[in-house]
Amino acid sequence: MDVIVCMKQIPDLQQIRIKDREPILDNVPLVWGDLDKNAIEEASKIKEAVEDVKVTVVALGSDKIEQGILEPLAMGADEAVLLTDPAFAGSDSMGTAKVLAKAIEKTGSYDLVILGEGSTDNYSGVVASALAELLNLPMISYVRELEVQDGKVKAVRNMEESFEVMEADLPALVTVAQEINEPRLPKFMAIRKAGAKPRHEWGPDDLGLAADEVGQNALSVETLSNLAPEQDRKNIILKGNLAEQIDALVDALTKEGVLGR
Amino acid sequence: MSEILIYSDNDGTALELVSAGKEFAEELGATVSAALLGDGAAGKADDYFSYGADKLYVSEHPALGDFYVGTFAAALQQIVESGDVEFLLIGSTKRGKELAGRVAQKLNAGAITDANAMRVRDGNLEADRYSYGGNTMASQVVTTPKKVISVMPKTFELGPSEAKQGEVVNVDLDLEDPPVKVVERRDKAGDEVNLEEAEVLICVGRGVQSQEDLAMIEELAGLLGAEIGCTKTPASDWEWFSEERMVGLSGKKCKPSLYISVGISGQIQHTVGIVDSKIIVTINKDENAPMFNFTDYGIVGDYADVVPELNQKLKSL
Amino acid sequence: MTEADEEKVEVVVVGAGLAGLSAAYVLAQAGVDTVVVERGDYPGAKNVTGGRIYMHPLRHYLPDLWDDAPLERHVTRETITMMAEGASTAITLDNDKFREEPYHSYTILRSNFDRWFGDKVAEAGGFVLPKYRADDVLVEDGRVVGIVMGEEDEIRADVVVAADGVLSLIAEKAGLRQAQQPKHFAVSAKEVIELPAKSIEERFNLGPGEGAAQLYFGTLTKGMLGGGFIYTNQDSISLGLVVGIESLMEREPKIEVHEILEDFKARPEIRNLVADGEIVEYSAHAIPEGGINAMPKLYSDGIVVIGEAAGLGLNMLITVRGMEFAVASGVMAAEAILKAREKGDYSADSLAHYEELLKDSFALQDLETFRHVLGFMENPRLFNFYPQAVCDIFTELMWIDEKPKPKISTTVIREGVGKFLNWSTIKDGLGMLRI
Ligand SMILES: Cc1cc2nc3c(=O)[nH]c(=O)nc-3n(C[C@H](O)[C@H](O)[C@H](O)COP(=O)(O)OP(=O)(O)OC[C@H]3O[C@@H](n4cnc5c(N)ncnc54)[C@H](O)[C@@H]3O)c2cc1C
Ligand SMILES: Cc1cc2nc3c(=O)[nH]c(=O)nc-3n(C[C@H](O)[C@H](O)[C@H](O)COP(=O)(O)OP(=O)(O)OC[C@H]3O[C@@H](n4cnc5c(N)ncnc54)[C@H](O)[C@@H]3O)c2cc1C
Ligand SMILES: Nc1ncnc2c1ncn2[C@@H]1O[C@H](COP(=O)(O)O)[C@@H](O)[C@H]1O
Repeated sequence: MDVIVCMKQIPDLQQIRIKDREPILDNVPLVWGDLDKNAIEEASKIKEAVEDVKVTVVALGSDKIEQGILEPLAMGADEAVLLTDPAFAGSDSMGTAKVLAKAIEKTGSYDLVILGEGSTDNYSGVVASALAELLNLPMISYVRELEVQDGKVKAVRNMEESFEVMEADLPALVTVAQEINEPRLPKFMAIRKAGAKPRHEWGPDDLGLAADEVGQNALSVETLSNLAPEQDRKNIILKGNLAEQIDALVDALTKEGVLGR
Repeated sequence: MSEILIYSDNDGTALELVSAGKEFAEELGATVSAALLGDGAAGKADDYFSYGADKLYVSEHPALGDFYVGTFAAALQQIVESGDVEFLLIGSTKRGKELAGRVAQKLNAGAITDANAMRVRDGNLEADRYSYGGNTMASQVVTTPKKVISVMPKTFELGPSEAKQGEVVNVDLDLEDPPVKVVERRDKAGDEVNLEEAEVLICVGRGVQSQEDLAMIEELAGLLGAEIGCTKTPASDWEWFSEERMVGLSGKKCKPSLYISVGISGQIQHTVGIVDSKIIVTINKDENAPMFNFTDYGIVGDYADVVPELNQKLKSL
Repeated sequence: MTEADEEKVEVVVVGAGLAGLSAAYVLAQAGVDTVVVERGDYPGAKNVTGGRIYMHPLRHYLPDLWDDAPLERHVTRETITMMAEGASTAITLDNDKFREEPYHSYTILRSNFDRWFGDKVAEAGGFVLPKYRADDVLVEDGRVVGIVMGEEDEIRADVVVAADGVLSLIAEKAGLRQAQQPKHFAVSAKEVIELPAKSIEERFNLGPGEGAAQLYFGTLTKGMLGGGFIYTNQDSISLGLVVGIESLMEREPKIEVHEILEDFKARPEIRNLVADGEIVEYSAHAIPEGGINAMPKLYSDGIVVIGEAAGLGLNMLITVRGMEFAVASGVMAAEAILKAREKGDYSADSLAHYEELLKDSFALQDLETFRHVLGFMENPRLFNFYPQAVCDIFTELMWIDEKPKPKISTTVIREGVGKFLNWSTIKDGLGMLRI
């Protein structure tokens, strides 16, 4: 069985600084999306539970992926497809889905495609839905429990008012929620051996796409501005022993007019 | 004349969008329509008309029984393509959000999901959504001929309603049976709470170590007249709370006068849900917790000491 | 490769600071299978330095490496300031030599510099593993055979290079040194304050690309051993101070390092230099002060200790030096390892070559030469009496009022002899001959 996992590298959100409301991304290290790590973890678990599973990671992004890809390979992927051609830079969600779909088709065989319920930075969920449409796959989103057996996938998904148990025949696409598993920290030797696993680097030509059909040239959404909201907090840490701190807090809250109404 | 089409699996959210859509339609010189899909759809028509829909597309096709994203996307595609729909606004519930990308792909359209504000700009609809996990707010427009935007519930208020009728189109859809079956549905325990409206909100995070400790939090909530919310883990993983009480990027956006965080580190995906609070109080034992950067008044300490002391004090007032 | 070989590497370096990366770079270039384990998110993520690196030793030990290094500004002006209460006197050195290429020293920011260096190591074929912490050494039959990470991970290696910085856990776990004593350390607090390049050049009177190094001692450390520093980077200023832990612990009333830093920044001499800047980084770090007297054993079977882990650092009041020691010791350790590798013998006897190389180099010789500096610096008169006396004389000379002024020589003799000639100062003068 062939399992495909789509993963995105994003800037470490906790390290983004805001200056004059602009996010400063220079030198912010790249990390894999949180939920994408849940996705690769789930694929590895399937591989451990079911015979003859091959897991392929597909990632579109900057050339930093070349280094970062060791992590998912060490977590259990067998192969990686790197879509780091500069022509892909600046892809929006629909553009990303288009390239991912071509790459997944090119891998030859896919029984189960796993994505995160949302990317950690965008959290739009658009990529998975568009990809399912492009590959014409049944889709189950927000999955918190997954079972793959006898050519079927059974999943519990977490909705507002209920947990839905859903079933589909393979091939299928699922997106996972954070609570589905606890991603492993790969061991050193696994990371080291990951370096020897096969990688494919495909550009637009390899995927039968023209350069003007991808990346910045194929945007369907335009971002007019992207600024941090104004934040003006008092940042007062109350001092003294606990009783003094509590007195000061209650005092302050009363003066602010937010207590005792 | 171009058309703004509205759909949500949640009728409340759909009606908010109809109300807002009516105003946008005036500015854009467009009309507002809505899609009513699935069992019992026809019976809802009056409500939709009364909040301002000009036209309703109705289908109770058997394939629309249980919600399956692919089938609903196909239904909406056929409706959009049958008329002059330029904008498809979808309620950004979980189902709506997964629907947006799928129907957009069918329409060769761009999609924006989880919009939390919208306005007319140069004949288009501009939407705001969080970016970089909530660090920033991006203002975006879709640039394809058809445009799909999913809008967070409660982004718009329900407008005035008046008894009114309009055109009902019983659409004849060509749909296949869903390839995904719902084999079981386990309802979550009902939890009627409206954190968005809370005047005082206390949120607990992963720092609260045991469920017994919630007693002191509840006592504090009682003393302050507060609602209790939480970060992701206490809801999704521990299931101490329903997800109705989760606050943040994938939860509720709240704007209380007073917000108190207890054992919350202050990661952006949570704080984005409370940045509009008037006063923010933080109780955390780690003085370096990022939460203190969002804080007006902070106490560095163990909540198990701080909260009982605070309760004592409030009782003595 | 046998099955057993696959499960081990040749060299594991603990710590991707300058010492560890230098060693790894030389080893990787020589084709040695080398892994660098770094607990930070990336090399340099939390590494602290004042910010000035001397290039001549670096070029000597690693020629050709530095062309595209992210260096900030080349230092063209050195200033030492004695601070008294409400007054300060500065001495400035501006020398054309500082403007000659190749430049003598540069300011740097470690987070950029070490990250770049880590990439160089990777390009050379080394493997840099961030976000992994070594917690212990693996010992078999009395020799070190690798490191332990967390509960269930380990890396086996022919040699472990302990490059884990000032509080080296690895040297301690390998039994190469005793638990640390406070008096062998100073603590430091440092801020990086962002300012536009233009403001920096105006405020410090610098040409484009030129930098200033300013050191401060006197009342700013409130009578305690230590001093302050400012280095100008391209778009930021590194500002910090260093205080001996022992004097800090003994002080009454207690004071926190960051409070001392705040007071320092509030001085008018400093305030205007950093005005309107945004603090983008705050860090606290230890500095070795023990000198050659406090060095650990430098090697044992299967392990060598380099950089600050080996106590290689000098705090000489007017300059803090450590980075060139780190690079030099890393290179020398690598050379010793290469030699041991030829012989296939990683025993203590074989690795002893590392210490021989160090002894012949500036590193151990400078440490030897300046072995009495610390003792000299423990003299509190250095931090209150002398700066005050100098400022007083200077003030006396510069102050004009309605009264007639005495001759300059009279002022100098009256103030100078009166203040400077007594038993303690003579003793200090004699002490100075030893350093
Ligand atoms: C796409 C996506 C969407 C997400 N959406 C949301 C969302 O909507 N809402 C949300 O909340 N999260 C969301 N998250 C998760 C989010 O990233 C964080 O993981 C989460 O907010 C952290 O929760 P926390 O602060 O409770 O836990 P932690 O980060 O573990 O923090 C616990 C804090 O408690 C403190 N503490 C521990 N013990 C004590 C004590 N005895 N007394 C006082 N303090 C103590 C600790 O110092 C620490 O700061 C999302 C994540 C992703 C990737
Ligand atoms: C405030 C201050 C000012 C200074 N000013 C100067 C100056 O101007 N010029 C100068 O030359 N020197 C200066 N120094 C000294 C200089 O910074 C150090 O000598 C130099 O950084 C030592 O390099 P190192 O590689 O030995 O150690 P470090 O740079 O400390 O590197 C050690 C590395 O090991 C990692 N590590 C530690 N433990 C583990 C573990 N268990 N597992 C994995 N990784 C681990 C750390 O994260 C770190 O990356 C200053 C120092 C300070 C603190
Ligand atoms: N650039 C990308 N490369 C590979 N997978 C991606 C990429 N962007 C998004 N994805 C996948 O799509 C999911 C949803 O992303 P998003 O639509 O951005 O919320 C992520 O969790 C990933 O699994």
